[in-house]
Amino acid sequence: MSEPRTPAGHAEDDGPVPSPFAGLGLAVDRGIARGLTRITGAALGPYQTAIVRIGFALTWLLFLLREFPHRDELYGPDSPWSLDLAKQLVAGNHAFTALLWNDSRGWFELVYAVAIVSSAMLLVGWRTRTASVLFMIGVLSLQNRSVFMGDGGDNVVHLMAIYLVFTRCGQVWSVDRALADRAAAKAQPASEAAARNEAEDETGSAGRPSSRLLGADPVGIALWVVLAVALVLATAAGKLSTEWKIALWAGLLLQALWWAVRRYAPGEPRSVLDIMANVVHNGAMLVVVVEVCLIYSTAGWYKIQGSKWEDGTALYYPLHLDDFTPWPSLSHALAGNSLMVMLISYGTVIVQVAFPFTLFNRRVKNVLLAAMMLEHASIAVVLGLPFFSLAMIAADAVFLPTGFLRWLGQQVARPLKSRTGPRPAVAIPGSRSADAEAPAEGPPPGEPVSDPI
Amino acid sequence: MQSAEGPPPQVATLSLPARIAVAVTVGAVAVGALLHLGMVFLHVAPSNTLSTQHATAVREYIYPEFEQNWKLFAPDPVQQNNHVQARAEVRKPDGTTQTTGWVDLTAADVADMRHNPIPSHSDQNELRRAWSYYTDTHNDQNQPTAGSGSDLSDAYLRNIVAARLGTELNGGTVVRIQARAAVTPVARPSWSGQTVDTTTTYRELPWWTLPAAPAGQENAS
Repeated sequence: MSEPRTPAGHAEDDGPVPSPFAGLGLAVDRGIARGLTRITGAALGPYQTAIVRIGFALTWLLFLLREFPHRDELYGPDSPWSLDLAKQLVAGNHAFTALLWNDSRGWFELVYAVAIVSSAMLLVGWRTRTASVLFMIGVLSLQNRSVFMGDGGDNVVHLMAIYLVFTRCGQVWSVDRALADRAAAKAQPASEAAARNEAEDETGSAGRPSSRLLGADPVGIALWVVLAVALVLATAAGKLSTEWKIALWAGLLLQALWWAVRRYAPGEPRSVLDIMANVVHNGAMLVVVVEVCLIYSTAGWYKIQGSKWEDGTALYYPLHLDDFTPWPSLSHALAGNSLMVMLISYGTVIVQVAFPFTLFNRRVKNVLLAAMMLEHASIAVVLGLPFFSLAMIAADAVFLPTGFLRWLGQQVARPLKSRTGPRPAVAIPGSRSADAEAPAEGPPPGEPVSDPI
Repeated sequence: MQSAEGPPPQVATLSLPARIAVAVTVGAVAVGALLHLGMVFLHVAPSNTLSTQHATAVREYIYPEFEQNWKLFAPDPVQQNNHVQARAEVRKPDGTTQTTGWVDLTAADVADMRHNPIPSHSDQNELRRAWSYYTDTHNDQNQPTAGSGSDLSDAYLRNIVAARLGTELNGGTVVRIQARAAVTPVARPSWSGQTVDTTTTYRELPWWTLPAAPAGQENAS
């Protein structure tokens, strides 16, 4: 505030006022340079990406296990949404689903099993890159096979399954990371840099630490060959649309390129690929963050147009719908409290509309985030929508602060570690993998790397 | 920023071709991300100048994989309970036919979900969404309004009803089936001062004749 220092009457005597735009060009240049350094130098928000990965993999895995007894009715050959009906719909909208490639029960069971296994792989972060692609194929295959079985929760999982493929979501809290750290600890300091780089690849390559360091990775090669054969067969059988052919082949060839470059060209080509992966990751994370904002914004904007949300009785109605009242006495008791109904109805709209704008203030954002997660947890129980709620909480988690996530990670990891014995410290000054993995052991890393918000 | 964290890949130290490759990647990702977000925005925003001008482009980009609908309980929550009910015409062993009473299929789903912390999609979404698919693609006189979509929704609802009723009922073989919706408005909140007629009304669909032999495929679940 400069006005108080200059009495109003003397304003015109002050001579030329420095332009507020002076140095703007330079500042913009500097800002762009800084931004480019950030988005090329690191895959931002490693903890947020990991919690989103874990959240959606867990949601879909639990859903698949819960629906295991109903899998045939929902997605199988005996579904009332019959193979014939599904094929007619897909012929019109060209959605991707491997389930319609073959009518047999064996094929259905195989796809369902792959969906379960890939969810578990993605959850623990084992061969994360490969797992993320298989996870997406599983989600799309099942959901697009029977699109009328899904709800809003399935919709969120569907979108995030696609977005996650483009993120480096196994940088922390993953088996890939743990294996790479163990390899690094065993190896001589000289080879630590190589191992560190491998950890960030998450190319789904490398089995035992020793082979990881050599870069040969027989398990990874075997997995790649199996997937390559599958893709060749699918292509030969003419099952893939042009877009999907390009996408899946590009993914497969990129993985081979990554392996080859890491092994035979560890210098500049390796750095370039690393930078490219960072850029793609950061672009995908931007999409995830904006997507979540759009979900809340549109949900809020549409509610504002409704008379029941305006008069504060909206919540009353779902609490009297048979499809959303697993606990009728609880629902009816809540619906009978006029003040609570109004406060929650208004609160929901306010939070949904306001949320994207609170991202400019960390403290307000965190309060609203906690409120939204709490509301979704309540929806899980009261409206009987546990998988929808879990998916929304997983999406919300992208906005959790890094400090909280690292603290949470330590609380979860501590009992695990004490059971398996102390882990060798691998932190060396200036090691970004060590910083990212073991916050307690290294100097605190610069916050800008970790928090996209 | 990165200086405290050792050697991340540094663009500045790269050769010219490598820098060009990075620059192209940055450009492509920026364009791709913004294009995607722009399309998603136009898809979820209310119909507006831009989205009507580019309706085809938006639709072709969004469908099928990026489709989304966040009108959750909006603009107004559903204010009525729809119960899909069904009955059958069965042929008895003595050759006579008989029409059964109405069976409340939704009530069976609701009973499954009661006091169940993890309700199944088969109880929660199957019948509910099949009914809304049918009403979205048919007018109130049950005439199709959406071309092949009307056929699909009609066949889907018929399959569900056939599977739930089974092939044998009341000691006879099911020949024809019929569905109806029992629509009951939710009473307005007592404190709102508003009232609504909560009498149940029915919407009856035409009879479906089941194919004679292959009906055995449709296992009751």
